[in-house]
Amino acid sequence: MRVTAEKKRETRRRIVEGARNLFNDKGFEQTTTRDIAEAAGIAAGTMFNYFPTKEALAMTIVDEALQEAGTEFEGRLRGDETLDEALFAHVAVGLRHLAPHRNYVGEVLETALSPFAREPVCEQAQEFRVSHLETVQELIASHGPPTIRTPSVMTMHLYWTLYLGVLSFWAADESPNREDTLVVLDESMRLFVGSLSPESENGREVTDVVDVTQNR
Amino acid sequence: MSSMSPRIAELIDALPVEPDEAVAPNAAFQGLLQELSHKQVPIGRLNRLWVLGTLQAKIAAAYFAWWLRGGYASADKRQRTLNETHLKAALKLLGGMSYLRGAIMKAGQIMATHPDVAPEQFADVLGHLHFEAPPMHFSLLREFVRSELGGDPEDVFDQFETRAFAAASLGQVHRARLKGTDQLVAIKVQYPNIGRTIRDDFRNLLALLTPMRLSGDWDNLKAQFEDIRHMLDLETDYEQEAENLRIARSAFTEDDGIVVPRVFPEVSTRRVLTMEYVGGLHLEKFLSTDPSQELRDQFGHKICVSVLRVQYSKKFVYADPQPGNYLFMPDGRLGFIDFGSCHFQSDEDIECLADAERAYLGSSPEAVRKTYVRGGDLTPKQAADDTRLKMYGQWADWAWEPVVHEGPFDFGDRDYFRRGASLYGELIRRRYMRSRPSNTWLIKCIYGLRAMLAHLKARVDLGAIFREENTVSHGQDA
Repeated sequence: MRVTAEKKRETRRRIVEGARNLFNDKGFEQTTTRDIAEAAGIAAGTMFNYFPTKEALAMTIVDEALQEAGTEFEGRLRGDETLDEALFAHVAVGLRHLAPHRNYVGEVLETALSPFAREPVCEQAQEFRVSHLETVQELIASHGPPTIRTPSVMTMHLYWTLYLGVLSFWAADESPNREDTLVVLDESMRLFVGSLSPESENGREVTDVVDVTQNR
Repeated sequence: MSSMSPRIAELIDALPVEPDEAVAPNAAFQGLLQELSHKQVPIGRLNRLWVLGTLQAKIAAAYFAWWLRGGYASADKRQRTLNETHLKAALKLLGGMSYLRGAIMKAGQIMATHPDVAPEQFADVLGHLHFEAPPMHFSLLREFVRSELGGDPEDVFDQFETRAFAAASLGQVHRARLKGTDQLVAIKVQYPNIGRTIRDDFRNLLALLTPMRLSGDWDNLKAQFEDIRHMLDLETDYEQEAENLRIARSAFTEDDGIVVPRVFPEVSTRRVLTMEYVGGLHLEKFLSTDPSQELRDQFGHKICVSVLRVQYSKKFVYADPQPGNYLFMPDGRLGFIDFGSCHFQSDEDIECLADAERAYLGSSPEAVRKTYVRGGDLTPKQAADDTRLKMYGQWADWAWEPVVHEGPFDFGDRDYFRRGASLYGELIRRRYMRSRPSNTWLIKCIYGLRAMLAHLKARVDLGAIFREENTVSHGQDA
């Protein structure tokens, strides 16, 4: 039993490693699941026992990079950041960890995180969205103005829209060291935090609790 | 003549559109947000930033409009209407230029050093902006430094202070220790993207102004505009500034009591500049200690030496003698700390200036006239315009007054600076600004130096310093 689990882990690692190399070399769209299976030394059908779709596999790679980023982000928090700075750092560290995958990650995110998709493209994409927005809500609670207890659904929608905009800008950013992305990210987070001020609620008590698991 | 000096209220009245309208591109953003959230959304922090920006934008835009309108006062109605349209577009662009950063901020800063042109209260507020520009938060700075130096600032340096201790117009300055040493350093970090933003803004501004056919001097005006753009462009090149610092540092000895910080190239790039930290007070704080006249005079002397020494021994015009660039050190030494705005003179520039100096000090009217024609790069028709030459003469008399004055000159005499500001305003109003582009730097230096000394209320024997430092024209005569 123990050997099987280890073997499974090893096979999964080979699939992820092979996919990462192929996505980098050929791009996401041009890489087939057959290519990935071949690179991992397994039968095409076996791969689906591990990852139901190519999108799920790609989002797993993205998610692993962002988990490392999350650890670094938490370690770097000083506690005295303003909310816009904390949100900036959260996204910026993530982008840095995604940088080795930039060749193809735009294509992946375009498919997996499309704001026009009626249903989540894959479970991994939905988990990523939920996890990211939960962190944002925690940051709002810990770094935001005391009057904001829970941001509204529309507020979180605005955040997600801005975040996707930053991701798409970053994926195509040709500026030196992608410095333009830093500016766009900074402006986006300031804009978002500006929308959180108490006046923005027209003085009404904010009572709508956000369920970040909803897709729209 | 003094009535020609524009006041802020008059300038703002001269704007073709309400300044708020001209500088409120955030309205579109607000609309977008309202649509998204179905509720009124004041963009808190952006609005606050913009209010700060509006003050500078208003003043800079008002000057700009006042300056440009003079160029088409005699045009027919159709042309005037067309020009107004272009002017509105140009002002909107000017107001939106990087929201405080870059050109508009520099324009505001330059005006802050002209106490007559901008009334005291505006000058005071703008003066603060030398040191209190909207900061980059540390997380943005960290990402930027990381991409420039290859590591987080906390790892590349020891004791990196996350809060900036000074703001530069195009960046901000943090204090740290050089890794593994006791050396305190000041690290100047540029705002991401600022260099390209300045270039784009200027290109757009010029494109908007070109159809206005401002005057027969348009080509010359464009050349000067280009020179200002070049000036700002140079300020974004910290490698060039590091080289300027190295050259300037070699111009002074310990006896001069003038400290130019050492650069640490191994932790500097084109956009991050690491220098030896120099401790001291900026002008305003120094003045708040109620210094004696003797101390003011000593510092005034050093400020003059600092500018003339680099000009005559190192051949570069120090175009930015303003409060943010000097430190009054507790032991009486002067910190001379920012070399972003320097112009290396060509041999022709040096010869032209030396000719002008010899001619002026030689008191030969014909020789002086020739230097005006050459220095002003005048066409034959312009050279025959006696009013123009007379005004050049008045301006030259003003600029030379402290040099030819016997003994210490009292720069604290407000009337002296006022006369200079009025003359400058009149030259602009009459559109007599045609000049060799390199003179832009010299004029900025002349006004900046006199404004600094006026604030300091220093009495300085500028003539003696000039004779000591000027080894070009004066050294040959002597």
